[in-house]
Amino acid sequence: MSLRVLVVEDDREIRTLVQSALTVEGFEVQTAVTLSEAMALLQHSPPDVIVLDLGLPDGEGLQLVPEVRRNSGVPIVVVSARHQEAQKIEVLDAGADDYLTKPFSVGELLARIRVALRHRGTALAAAVTVHALDDLRIDLAAHTVTRDGAPLHLTPTEFKLLARLVRSAGRVVTHRQLLADVWGPEYTEHTHYLRLYMAQLRAKIERDPAEPRHLLTETGVGYRLAAD
Amino acid sequence: MNSQAAPFTVRSWATVASLLTVATAVSWALEPHVSLTSQAMIYVLAVVIAAYKLPWVESAVCAVGAVSALNFFFVPPRGTLEVDNREHFIALTTMLAVALVISRLASGLRRETEVAQRNERRAHQLQTLATDLSAVTAPQEVLTLGRDALAAAFAGPCTLALANKAGELDQADGLEPAVRDGMRHCMKEGAVLGPGTGRWPGLEAWYLPLGDKGQMFGAACVRPALAADEGGREHAQALCAVLAQALWRLSLASSMLAAQGEAQRQQLQSTFLAAISHDLRTPLAAIVAAASSLQAQRDRLGQAEQERLLESIVSEASYLCTMTENTLQLVRLATPGQDLQRSWESIEEIIGAVLARVRQHDPTRRIRSRVPEGLPLIMADPVLLAQLIGNLLDNALKYSDGAIDLTVEAGPEAIEVCVKDRGPGIAEAERETIFQPYVRGDRSGRRGTGLGLAVCRAIAQAHGAQLLLRPRHGGGSSFCLVLPVEPQPPVAELPLTELP
Repeated sequence: MSLRVLVVEDDREIRTLVQSALTVEGFEVQTAVTLSEAMALLQHSPPDVIVLDLGLPDGEGLQLVPEVRRNSGVPIVVVSARHQEAQKIEVLDAGADDYLTKPFSVGELLARIRVALRHRGTALAAAVTVHALDDLRIDLAAHTVTRDGAPLHLTPTEFKLLARLVRSAGRVVTHRQLLADVWGPEYTEHTHYLRLYMAQLRAKIERDPAEPRHLLTETGVGYRLAAD
Repeated sequence: MNSQAAPFTVRSWATVASLLTVATAVSWALEPHVSLTSQAMIYVLAVVIAAYKLPWVESAVCAVGAVSALNFFFVPPRGTLEVDNREHFIALTTMLAVALVISRLASGLRRETEVAQRNERRAHQLQTLATDLSAVTAPQEVLTLGRDALAAAFAGPCTLALANKAGELDQADGLEPAVRDGMRHCMKEGAVLGPGTGRWPGLEAWYLPLGDKGQMFGAACVRPALAADEGGREHAQALCAVLAQALWRLSLASSMLAAQGEAQRQQLQSTFLAAISHDLRTPLAAIVAAASSLQAQRDRLGQAEQERLLESIVSEASYLCTMTENTLQLVRLATPGQDLQRSWESIEEIIGAVLARVRQHDPTRRIRSRVPEGLPLIMADPVLLAQLIGNLLDNALKYSDGAIDLTVEAGPEAIEVCVKDRGPGIAEAERETIFQPYVRGDRSGRRGTGLGLAVCRAIAQAHGAQLLLRPRHGGGSSFCLVLPVEPQPPVAELPLTELP
């Protein structure tokens, strides 16, 4: 059975384009133009992944996220325009899995959907504990990080930060989420700590910290551990 | 005046007594050597001194006392107030008259001197206030200076309040109801109210408007107000006039600033429209041509030709994206009241994110980046800085061949981010104009919006940073962003929470 994607997008051109691109990839695609239509479809036939546009005719796409999260862990990929920076972060903090900025290429969209699907159900199932990409290997259970087979020595804080990113490998994690999960909810405004610890982590993990391969910066939003 | 004189009364009378005693003693001592005329002169001197120093009543008494003392001690028959000689009687009467006239003249003179001194003090205060006001930049400062000036000039209590844009008193609730009503009324009438003005003479204070009808900036309430104190009222009016003038200057300056901003905005809009006609239409034309060609002739086009058309569509469209983004950013930054989303950011991270994007157009890795470790954090809007650095790199890739150096250097007060190319360089005459919207240094026919550098400079300015263009030794250009380094945020070890 093919995976089902719900595309919520009010612009007809983009909607049809995304629909055909996803159909070609073998997804079963449903489309909704408004929030209410999306809600109805969600009740009727729950999808495997949702592609959600932020500005919709009958409200902000933002409203849909908590609604969906109340009883489902279905991955949500948000599509936003450039000027919706603040909303983008809000929607990620509310539980969306990832985002794409318009204009995006079909290749980017497919990559985001793939990552989102990979994490599907991780909240319930056993979490990912091993992450390996190129020279880097992180084993959360064994508490080890190696580069080219050689062990790296991380401080407890650095390891916790890295572990949090591993659990969402390939997906963006907002500053707020990282600070809350690693240090506690009362530290969500201390972004300068993140900058300092990420710099330390990069210095240990990356070959060229100024052009990172693994610990990617999503400017103004958060960080992403590269998954491919 | 009377109340002020009361504490001095005892001293005045003591002065009268001692003046008369001294005059008598001197006359006594000189008795063997001089005539009665000279003794009379000594008493006249005492009377003149009393007249100059003491109020009218005391000096008159002093005059009578002097004549009596002369009569008693020195005019025969001595020891009595009788006068046995007609000549002596005339002399004594004349002396009394002279003493009284002098006393009268001297007190008049003293009063005039006092008035002159007060006027001088007031003139000086006005001058100082005018000088102080010429430097103010906000109505609130005018208010403070005005309050100080009124408090210094009048016994008070005095009140000064400003009007808001609607012409209503600001913070009217904090005023006494009577004062508030008086102020409102004088602002409405645009005239001074209170004793001696002919308007509401029954009030216990003067109410003075700041400004004229139609240009009303506030009002003052001045106490004490006496109908006869014309000088005081005129001084209060003069102070208010100076304050109103300062407020008028400020309002004029702010409306001029607004007009300037509006003019700039319109200028930007019109240049924008002019640029659109060319810079948007051309890529759109290319896209439409390529797409319609694929639509109509696909069967007859070779594989390579189709690929070329598709690539042209993608590249023209992404060019349109960049241009739209730059245009929007420029308009946004030019709109007043736009707050940057600033936070503590790492230059290294921003550069890393920019390079990840720009490398897509840099397959041969012409960009060589050198970013030192341990850079201080900066307070910045990361999205805007990324756009700035991205624009500089895009430009370097587009307008030069060969290696491009991206360098970062940190000093104690500034971080310098430079993008250096080995292109043709930029002529001296164009080094400033190239930062203006819709101006391009390139004449080679390669397309560019002429917006990139204007946006870069606007972003730099919004961050209190400088964007400099320097010719490069050995050919090429170097664009440098000089960012101020602020005191770093405090860093203490944070507690860790247990990860689930």
